[in-house]
Amino acid sequence: MSNVTLTPAEFTLVKFDADQVRALIDQTLGEIEFPVDVDVTIDVDEVLPHPLTASMANVVDGAAHLWYTGGCFESPKRQTGLSVDHTRVELGVGLLRAKDRLVGGFENAPADEQLDDRQRTLWDTYAEGRLVPLGFPVRIPRRRYTFRLYGGFNDVADAAFEQLWTGAPITWDGLSAMAESLAAADTRPERKKSLRKETLRQAPAA
Amino acid sequence: MSDPSKPRAAFAPWDRRELPGLFTVEESARRVGTYKWLEMRLFESLGGWVATVPELDVKLVLGRHCYHHAWHAELMDKRLPELREMNTDRLCEPANPEMVAFVAALQEPEAPEHTIEKLVGIFRVLLPRKIAAYTYHMNATSRITDSPTQRSLGFMLQDEFEDWREGEMLLQSLIETPEDVERAARRQAELETLVLAAGGIAGPGTLGSDVVTEGASV
Amino acid sequence: MRKQLPPEMLARDSRFVRTSIMDQVMDPRNAKMGERELGSARLQPERPAAADRARNLMHGIFTGEIQALEGAGRTTFDFDDDEAPFALKLDMARQCWDESRHVEISVKLGDWMGTEIGEYSEATFLYEAACAPDPILRLCGVNRALEGLAIDVFNTMREFGDLSGDPVLEFCEDWMLADEVTHVKMGSDWLRRLTADDPERRERALDFQRTVDKLFSLGGFRGESEENPIQLARTFRSMAGFSTDEIDELAEIAAQAQEDARAMVAGGS
Ligand SMILES: [Fe+2]
Ligand SMILES: [Fe+2]
Repeated sequence: MSNVTLTPAEFTLVKFDADQVRALIDQTLGEIEFPVDVDVTIDVDEVLPHPLTASMANVVDGAAHLWYTGGCFESPKRQTGLSVDHTRVELGVGLLRAKDRLVGGFENAPADEQLDDRQRTLWDTYAEGRLVPLGFPVRIPRRRYTFRLYGGFNDVADAAFEQLWTGAPITWDGLSAMAESLAAADTRPERKKSLRKETLRQAPAA
Repeated sequence: MSDPSKPRAAFAPWDRRELPGLFTVEESARRVGTYKWLEMRLFESLGGWVATVPELDVKLVLGRHCYHHAWHAELMDKRLPELREMNTDRLCEPANPEMVAFVAALQEPEAPEHTIEKLVGIFRVLLPRKIAAYTYHMNATSRITDSPTQRSLGFMLQDEFEDWREGEMLLQSLIETPEDVERAARRQAELETLVLAAGGIAGPGTLGSDVVTEGASV
Repeated sequence: MRKQLPPEMLARDSRFVRTSIMDQVMDPRNAKMGERELGSARLQPERPAAADRARNLMHGIFTGEIQALEGAGRTTFDFDDDEAPFALKLDMARQCWDESRHVEISVKLGDWMGTEIGEYSEATFLYEAACAPDPILRLCGVNRALEGLAIDVFNTMREFGDLSGDPVLEFCEDWMLADEVTHVKMGSDWLRRLTADDPERRERALDFQRTVDKLFSLGGFRGESEENPIQLARTFRSMAGFSTDEIDELAEIAAQAQEDARAMVAGGS
């Protein structure tokens, strides 16, 4: 079983039960068959509320490092409360992407900070699609809209979504080629093809 | 080629409109005034109820129908000056106190669990009554002299039929148990009794019984 | 059915959850957020969390439309014929139909953007403005202040749809925007007509409008700087009958609200 470190160890700004979150992490690791000998660190920035959702999943020195805004796990219905469904899906996607980096043909993928929004949304979709047969509470319309927002509102993007959503294996090379084909089919002016310039991940001001 | 100088009858052979009609100017105006009053109370009730029904589809339908009946009130309001009633407020009144009592009972339900009662009042009592009264007016009044009223009533009836169908379908989807059937029937009976006491939406003679002899002369 | 239905009695099905004001005010993250350098709050596709922020706003529009429908409906019912003229009630009934369509559009847009009905909690500020006991206060608070805000919001969303190349979002927002311009104009026309001989009442109504405007500029939600998620839509506002002075005044209210928010964060941290 992986050695899991959740930060903060106890939540003070939101009403998340850290034990419950740790249990959900353990459950997810088992469900997605995460490599048992890999340590996992999950940082949650509990200052950032829903809808400020953002996450990272990197592998450094053989260990998985995930980062989430608290908003990723927060219930939009109950301020500062935990949404088990959202948390399960967010953890599932993040941990699957970390697993991809370890053993899934994404070993040569750039770190999350270097991915543009299009590449990132393709990868997220590939991961979330694989959660469907595992019984995770995923919501396809939500993912589809995000995919179109970054991939383009056109048939090429929709076909790519369908392919990725099936979870048919793809590697980083295949995925980045797909991102390029989407970029080519995207008729939006270049400045509208969103490139990740800003990030929510930062240390609080001194 | 047709001969432009050839005299033709003013009424084509298929145009069977006739004089006289059953209504005098005053009688048509009186009825139009009661219709306007009732359409106003109806659109206000629907508007008021929108916030009190939890069922999203019902909420949206009431919002839409609210405007239909407001438009009917507006049509009737515009017709009144043409029927010699320049002060349109004067004739905008209920047919009788019994009609006021009926409308008060119709508007009474408020609680979110009383959607069936609200809808029965509108779609199983009031709209059928309006359809009957407007149809009678259309058929009884002269299709020549009172044609503007008729035309408006035609538009209104089209709304009434469509709205009634939509409301009835909502009701059928909300009535799920024998107890609901009982509730709906009881509510309908209560309100029918009241509208009966009023003699119909335009008072006694709404469907003609008292009007034929008096209003037949032109 | 009573006249004047309080906000807590708004009927909703089991999917809807009301926002807890206490939870919002007491949220310990508020002060911490003020310390962060989060960049522009303007809703744009290239900004972080754009999809969830757009969805959140869309759901807010959806519940706002329900309350606009309910508020207009109540104005047809709550006042006797001598308190609210027949023609005003007709306008409110017309607005009921429009808002009913806006709810329908919002539901479809929510589906399109991947939100579910009731996914986000609902605040009842909008309906609260529609509970004023004087119909002209309602028209100022709702039609001029809140429908004015709707113009700003729809224009922001329309731009978001345009920038992201989303044909459905842009199409829908453009249609709703057209209706809202009419609703704001309705408010301005009735304000003029009903208070022509009553400057005191007019001032009371405009005061109420300012209060509502300020409330909805709270924390810099709406304004003209990069920091405001919702941008003041000057062109559409002038189409809706706002004078340049009025728009300038609103911009000032918004800027002041943002300053107040900054001061509050500085004082609290
Ligand atoms: Fe609206
Ligand atoms: Fe509106």
